[in-house]
Amino acid sequence: MLPAGRGRRAAAALRAALGEGAERRRELERRAARSRALLGRWDDEEEERPQPQPGSSTAHEDRPSPKELEELELLNRALEKALKVRKSVLKAPLEAQGATEQKWAGEAHAPKKAEEQQMPVPIKDVPECRKVRAGSKKPLLLKKPFPYQLKAPYRTDPDVKKLQRKVPARCVSQGPRTAGKISSKGMTSKRGMSHRTATGACAAAEPQETPGLSESAPNEQQSFSGGDSAAGKNSVAAKKQLLDAGKKSCSFLGECSEKDDTAGAWGRSTSAGTGTLQEKGCQLKLPLLYRKAYSRNSRAWERCRLCQTSADAEAARTRFMERIQTTFCSPKLTPSPAEIEEELRALQDVPSHLRQYVEAELADPPTLQGEYESLLTLEGLQSTVSQCLQKLQLLRAALESQLRLCPDCPGDVGICSPACVPARGQTCDSADTLAVPLLSYSSLQELRDLFTLKLQVSMLHQEIALQKVMMAELLPVLEPRPFLEGSAGLFRAIHTQLCEGGRRFPVLVRDELLD
Amino acid sequence: MRQQQRERGPALPAAVGALCRALPPRARPAPDTLRRARFDRPQASLDFWRLLYVLLKQVHGGRCTESDAIGGQVRFVKWALWFHGYRRPQLQLLPADGSAGSRELLLAFSWLLHSLHLLEQLLARNRLQTGDETSVCTCIVSLGSRLELHSSFACQLDPLKILLNVEICEAGKHICLNTIKCEDDVPSRQEGAGEAAAEDRVDVRYLQWLNGRLRLQWHALHAQHQEQCKLLHKIHLFTSGSHMDQRLGHFSVTEADLTRQPENYKQLFQLLESETMQLEAFLEWKQLEPVYWQWMETVLDNMAEEGNMCESQEAHMEKRRLPEVAAAEELQKERFSATARKIQESVELKLRALRAPKSKMHGSCRLVLRSKHPGSQRGTAGCVPKEAVPAVGAAEVIRELQGREASLQAELQQLREQSRRRMQAIAEGWEGVICISP
Repeated sequence: MLPAGRGRRAAAALRAALGEGAERRRELERRAARSRALLGRWDDEEEERPQPQPGSSTAHEDRPSPKELEELELLNRALEKALKVRKSVLKAPLEAQGATEQKWAGEAHAPKKAEEQQMPVPIKDVPECRKVRAGSKKPLLLKKPFPYQLKAPYRTDPDVKKLQRKVPARCVSQGPRTAGKISSKGMTSKRGMSHRTATGACAAAEPQETPGLSESAPNEQQSFSGGDSAAGKNSVAAKKQLLDAGKKSCSFLGECSEKDDTAGAWGRSTSAGTGTLQEKGCQLKLPLLYRKAYSRNSRAWERCRLCQTSADAEAARTRFMERIQTTFCSPKLTPSPAEIEEELRALQDVPSHLRQYVEAELADPPTLQGEYESLLTLEGLQSTVSQCLQKLQLLRAALESQLRLCPDCPGDVGICSPACVPARGQTCDSADTLAVPLLSYSSLQELRDLFTLKLQVSMLHQEIALQKVMMAELLPVLEPRPFLEGSAGLFRAIHTQLCEGGRRFPVLVRDELLD
Repeated sequence: MRQQQRERGPALPAAVGALCRALPPRARPAPDTLRRARFDRPQASLDFWRLLYVLLKQVHGGRCTESDAIGGQVRFVKWALWFHGYRRPQLQLLPADGSAGSRELLLAFSWLLHSLHLLEQLLARNRLQTGDETSVCTCIVSLGSRLELHSSFACQLDPLKILLNVEICEAGKHICLNTIKCEDDVPSRQEGAGEAAAEDRVDVRYLQWLNGRLRLQWHALHAQHQEQCKLLHKIHLFTSGSHMDQRLGHFSVTEADLTRQPENYKQLFQLLESETMQLEAFLEWKQLEPVYWQWMETVLDNMAEEGNMCESQEAHMEKRRLPEVAAAEELQKERFSATARKIQESVELKLRALRAPKSKMHGSCRLVLRSKHPGSQRGTAGCVPKEAVPAVGAAEVIRELQGREASLQAELQQLREQSRRRMQAIAEGWEGVICISP
């Protein structure tokens, strides 16, 4: 358990993030619905089918549902049973081995490359109950029976179990994490297999797995890694499959691969006559009114873009500006906070570029020329760095002197910097500002890559922000503490959250020699 | 004073009128307000504060809470003017209830007009989007350590704009650390059987669960985006050649929907028309600008007569430049062999890319499908001629994003590494327990 203030703040941060995400999903769904309607038949009089919102089932639930808790409870019990069976089968020599560590081999997360948009398999633990590993399922999200597998690894280390024995299994119901996981692994590798209902088959499945579980530890590890590599191969080799699987998981929520239906409809309807965008798209014409309005608007923009300030105007304006500036009480020649921020933004990318350059130079060049080039490059980089640092110092001094004149900050605004204010003082700016902003793409793949990357960047921004919040809130919880009961669970949970992004777990082993 | 006005002739009212009409609809003052302000009438003060508030809020992309009381408006305007470098002390001394100071505000307004290129900026910002828009900004919005929460759908936006596929700059979506720190009014949901008792303590597993849900949400978002891409691409493809604007070539979702159901888009027509009128007002203003600036000078004259100048320093109009990162000439050219010199030049070239300030892309752009083979696109005789319209290429944006992603990933890894070290230290402090990281 976490102290109230910290826990609540951390939870609040996560919930805020979830809220944002839900908002974005709803918006996206609205747009998608419109697009889908356009691609369907146009003479359909029916209103768009009321789609069950994909977000609705996960809509703003701040606690796991009773159903989830129930299922988790069942799972835990089943696994307990399995472990008991296994324990009785385990021979003494095994226990005498001492601290054997079992890694979470079955984490089965596909190698995560930055560019690939993968579906990681976050298999979460229930820290207080080490014996139990909640299966990879997401009962809440899916209305249909969902293929899951209970291959999730769990602790087999008897020594570690000792640490946790005091904590009863019932504590699971108090605030378990459940299926925040996607068993994409389950989906890809088990797609061919029969679907099992999460609840019903749960208890039934266990006995089947038990024989496998009662084998000795190394075998288990093998089977995990076997599953691993299979899933790994699947996911590496068929990234698209994963993405489609992901899509399918969402489409389960009621849309039921509706896109596929539409695709079929096009093919079929070509013979059926007019009605879809595909057939008549290139013959369409915008309504006359709109065309007229659009072309007037377009011409007006053009004229504004090409419009120049007359010499008279410029002279008069300059006179005014000069005169008013003489009444300013500002430090001489200091950039304004807006300009400071602009400079800072320009400097923001420099470290990463520098890092790239430096890394490029790390390899030992074979030839003399190569060495010379390397030397020059590094010297150039060094001078760049010192100049940037100097600039930073100047900026800091400037900001300090400006802050002396700062009025009270309006509370709600904080430091609300202008969103994407282009650099000022450039006269050509006006022209650029009023130009038509176009982003051209040439293929579907390009478009998809673009959006994937944008999402990835967005996600990383959020992850970094959350990471900072979590570090601030969670680390101090552990730091002063001596090792108490229950600390282990907390430690593992926090370690996972902060160091592994919630994906993998450390192993805590008691440093004892067993007889 | 009246004589001076009459000497200027009818141009001044026209100029002021054009100026007012060139401002965005929500922030359009009555020409009378400006005239009253010129004479420092207190009645105009409230209106003028409000005007500046709305304009500056738009510039800062913030949420425009209409319910903001005058006190809040005054504070914000004062802060924003400070932020942009306006340093007339009289402004900061104006009363917080907005009851006086219209002339000062008029001066500030005029200063902003030029310093911020206010009209152009607002025109560009509020540009009606009829296409499939997406943001290309990769910069981070922040000053200092605070990250700002820019709600995706600020109420500043028209619902219609949301309909027209507006996307806010991605970089704006962060968690606001401040909000969290003072959010102790989180309702504690401790009902439900089996919940940990009366304490308000939070189980760490709950956090893990939330985290898992968050990850799932990202995946769902990704899937949705991918679907949207497919749909967009199809619509663009199928309508290629239909748009009368050859620069665009195809319809956007909105335009296709417009063709299908024109009656739903009456508001769009109106907005288009009103934007055109605003643009024409802008052109008119550009013609009459000199009159306005001369008028403003008379305001300064009056104030000088009234002896309101402060002890000022000579502030120059020249650009205040910070020492730029030096050009490559610093690299000494010694008397080396030709090879050495060639090497020097190639290094200079390499580093120039690093030193040159990259022009950042900002704002949202309309997505257009342009096949690599221009011959294949059918062009109908359009009323807007095709020119070489500069379009940002998706490939370029992708490259930038990849760079941005890599550096963010590095930052995240660094934070995680930091955590790992601290956790390791904690574990080492514990007797009898060994921690083995995965």
